[in-house]
Amino acid sequence: MKKPVIEFKDFSFRYKSQNEFTLHDINLTIYSGEKVLILGPSGSGKSTLGNCVNGLIPFSYDGEIKGSCKVSGIEVREANIFTISNHVGTVLQDSDAQFVGLSVGEDIAFSLENDAVPRPEMLEKVDAAAKIVDMDGFLEAIPYSLSGGQKQKVSLAGIMHNKDVETLLFDEPLAALDPAMGMSAIDLIDQIHKNHEKTILIIEHRLEDVLYRHVDRVILVNEGRILLDLTPDALLRSDTLRQNGIREPLYLSALKNAGVHFDEDEHLDSLEELDFAKYRDAVTAAFQNSALSAPKPKGEKIIEVSHVSYRYGKERLALDDVSFEICRGEKISVIGKNGAGKSTAAKLICGIIRPQEGTVRLNGQDYTALSIREIGRMVGYVMQNPNQMLVKDMIRDEVSLALTLNDFEPSAIEERCEKVLRMCGLYSMRNWPVGVLSYGQKKRVTIASILVLQPDVIILDEPTAGQDYRRYTEIMQFIDTLNREYNITIVFITHDMHLAIEYTDRSIVFADGRCIADDAVFRVLSNEDVISRANLKQTSLVTLAERCGIDPEHYIHYFIDCERGK
Amino acid sequence: MENKKKKSIGALLLGKWDTKTIVGIAIGAALFGVLMDFGGIKVTTNTSLTSAYVVLPIVGALFGPLPAALTGLIGNTIADLIGGWGLWFDWSFGNAVAGFFIGLLPLYGAKIDDGVFGVKHAIIYAIVTIVGVAIGFGLVTPVLTVLFYSSELTVTWIQAWAAVISDASVAIVVGVPVLFALAKRNARKTGLSKED
Amino acid sequence: MDQRLFINLSPGNTYLDRLTGKTKVRLFFAFVVLLIATWDMRIILPTLLVTLAGLYSLKAKLKSVRIIAVVVVLSNLLNLFLIWVIDPDYGASVCGGSTLLFQITPHYIITGQTMWYFLVRFCKLMATFFAAMTFIQCVTPSELAAGLYAMKVPYKVCMIVSIAFRYIPDILRDFTNIKISMQARGMELDAKRTGLWQRLKQNVMILVPLVVTSFDRVGNIANAMDLRGFGKNKTRTYYAEHEDGRGDGQMKFFYLALYLFIAVVIVLRIVKPGEFLVWYPF
Repeated sequence: MKKPVIEFKDFSFRYKSQNEFTLHDINLTIYSGEKVLILGPSGSGKSTLGNCVNGLIPFSYDGEIKGSCKVSGIEVREANIFTISNHVGTVLQDSDAQFVGLSVGEDIAFSLENDAVPRPEMLEKVDAAAKIVDMDGFLEAIPYSLSGGQKQKVSLAGIMHNKDVETLLFDEPLAALDPAMGMSAIDLIDQIHKNHEKTILIIEHRLEDVLYRHVDRVILVNEGRILLDLTPDALLRSDTLRQNGIREPLYLSALKNAGVHFDEDEHLDSLEELDFAKYRDAVTAAFQNSALSAPKPKGEKIIEVSHVSYRYGKERLALDDVSFEICRGEKISVIGKNGAGKSTAAKLICGIIRPQEGTVRLNGQDYTALSIREIGRMVGYVMQNPNQMLVKDMIRDEVSLALTLNDFEPSAIEERCEKVLRMCGLYSMRNWPVGVLSYGQKKRVTIASILVLQPDVIILDEPTAGQDYRRYTEIMQFIDTLNREYNITIVFITHDMHLAIEYTDRSIVFADGRCIADDAVFRVLSNEDVISRANLKQTSLVTLAERCGIDPEHYIHYFIDCERGK
Repeated sequence: MENKKKKSIGALLLGKWDTKTIVGIAIGAALFGVLMDFGGIKVTTNTSLTSAYVVLPIVGALFGPLPAALTGLIGNTIADLIGGWGLWFDWSFGNAVAGFFIGLLPLYGAKIDDGVFGVKHAIIYAIVTIVGVAIGFGLVTPVLTVLFYSSELTVTWIQAWAAVISDASVAIVVGVPVLFALAKRNARKTGLSKED
Repeated sequence: MDQRLFINLSPGNTYLDRLTGKTKVRLFFAFVVLLIATWDMRIILPTLLVTLAGLYSLKAKLKSVRIIAVVVVLSNLLNLFLIWVIDPDYGASVCGGSTLLFQITPHYIITGQTMWYFLVRFCKLMATFFAAMTFIQCVTPSELAAGLYAMKVPYKVCMIVSIAFRYIPDILRDFTNIKISMQARGMELDAKRTGLWQRLKQNVMILVPLVVTSFDRVGNIANAMDLRGFGKNKTRTYYAEHEDGRGDGQMKFFYLALYLFIAVVIVLRIVKPGEFLVWYPF
């Protein structure tokens, strides 16, 4: 008989600061040893659900609770967070914020320190926990030298040394990781599930990435209610994903595009297990019936980087003989893992760092003599976190700030500002305070505040980091419109492969300070060597194409054409 | 929110010592240290003002005056530690006293995170800041300096009051606009309508 | 790691580095109190030599220490000069008597006592500076927190210290990025081309996003700490506080002796106060 570890009964929750309930009538039982995905878009209530399980509600978030929620038999409403933490271990989304120690060992030991465990015993437990996540060689490493994936492993180790913990809760474990790290995170969670007999709850909206390893059940949450509670396979067959702001796995979209109908006994959640013999003909037929698009004609060169090398202090080369060009009207993705050189390349183009060897030309002119301020009028840089850019409290003031700082005439400010506000769909909100805006709207404001200088290129650093599919689409379609209708050149710094596939034509890939690929997106993403060196993940389209006997490069090209044609 | 019981002055002075407050003070102290060592505003080539004092009213507004005092004390010590200037506890304690006064915001009803900060609050803030900095750097620090290092009184006094003037002016001239900006950002505006 | 930070985040490997946080904090505290308590050159001079030896034994970052040391020496000398300008015969009040060595004008005189006082004061402040330098260079933030806890400081306060150090590099990075992004939007950061008023206004623009993003972290960090039991018990242990080594045993004798000596110095000053603050040998 399966033992229930988490039981919600007619459970509702309202945050003290809000008038509406965030969770409504939740009825959910999770049994010991299960691996469950809680799926839902941002704001669906999935994180609130997680916070009820780990005790942050009601300990840190005051509010009204109706019904009952029991975790390992303890009624959450009456328990204290420390009692619940003994049964539920949580890995939070923000891997930087939860790394509170000044070294790996210290962070793993944090809960032991709080339990006043004597140091010799602590050392043993820390060592053992570090081994589980394969971080035992890094106990003395400081947080600033670790990647997001390593920090996440450390957080996991920090809850693994408590043998009483039955349930592990992962809140958006993929949010801050590049594709390859995301895969290994899912792998690690799977291993721990198998080897340590824990109950696993994963809160995510990236369905395809989580399904990379087997999941027992998926709970689809939206608007504070549980909509579906079924197996991954049944979920993929239903048509509820898109309307709930969840992205369907790419291979399924591709198969559906080809008009494939699935048999009852197929497992849709595993690409490996799909019987392609049945679908090959349909896929090939659809592929052969469409002509591949020709490359867009190139505009004039705006940025020319030639043979640039750069190193910070005495460290190894951050840029090693790098050359590339950017032409007017292009949409480019700059990809590569953390520290590969992609942000250094962006800093280089913006003039924040200058080439130690080689040259950079902007509109044909060597930029050595130009100041950051002057370069800023040709190359606009939009930071990842909009809060780091928003200075003024009114949208209009924020957008016109750059013009004021550049000493434009009031009439010119008025005119340009209005134009940009209209371009960005912000004109009707121009007198709104920045504080009331959503993340996507703030992003728009920061883009507008850069566009107002009419730069030749804008560089966007991870424009959709941490956003669910709906918000991602909203932001990206807006940027795409700017490119299509106003011919604005756009460079994305990203590790999101979907973004590269759906919204860019060319990819420049960095690894170890070198530019290892610079080609059409479909060619780059079908190149296995590039994929592995850049810590990317092969898209399921490649597997699909290979299984159907189609050249992956052409198939991705075809898929992109289909998606954009919609 | 009118029916909510008014917190006693004692509770407001003490602040709530939960984990959020601890972390708030820590982040405040870190920010203070960073701005003290790297956030100078040049006045002439050799002298500069520090923008660090802007952190104290914010910690005060979010967590209360005692946390603001600790932010001043620890922040200043940290600035000495990361800048390598040695440790000068006479100044750290002066910072704590100044921080307590600068951080009194909840007592006169300024709530930055709810968007409440008006001209009235700004005036009270300016007066309290001048008084607090004067007591902190104009009295506590020089007394400690003389006690610890038996310095000549006039010289100590001149240095102390130079600090009073420069730090109070930054806390007001830069602090007030920052407080206004943050309050406006957090203001819960209702009835916003789109215009043509 | 950011080279601009003076404190080390990872422990080094010299004799002083290997001590526990508790020993380091207690030693440093003893030196600071001793240097505050005494004006006797017979105590100050050996202390100065000991602290200097301590600093040299660390071998670390001596170059950056040297630059700051020059600044500290200059500012101390300036301070002494100011005292002299205001009261050239200051030595009379602290050492007693004024032995005229040199006369510039009837008012601006140089006396043996004033010069002696200046020398003592200079040595005292430099010894304090070297003690602090040595401490900063050999302690890591975690050891500092553990050491303070061993000095009976509540652990929640010690936690403030270590969390602050943890997030300083992150805040410093944000600060730099925000400045650069404002520069690219047209802010003139060159002090030569802007007026003071403009610089103040620019600072507001940099501080607003910096403050917002810095304090945005608080909720997440606090949650992560609550979830791992911070504040659960009355006591706490420290991973970074290793067991006492040989050096700790030796230094324990040393600092206990030092505390005893300080007690004697203070008691003597109360029981048998000298006529003057500073001992004058001549």
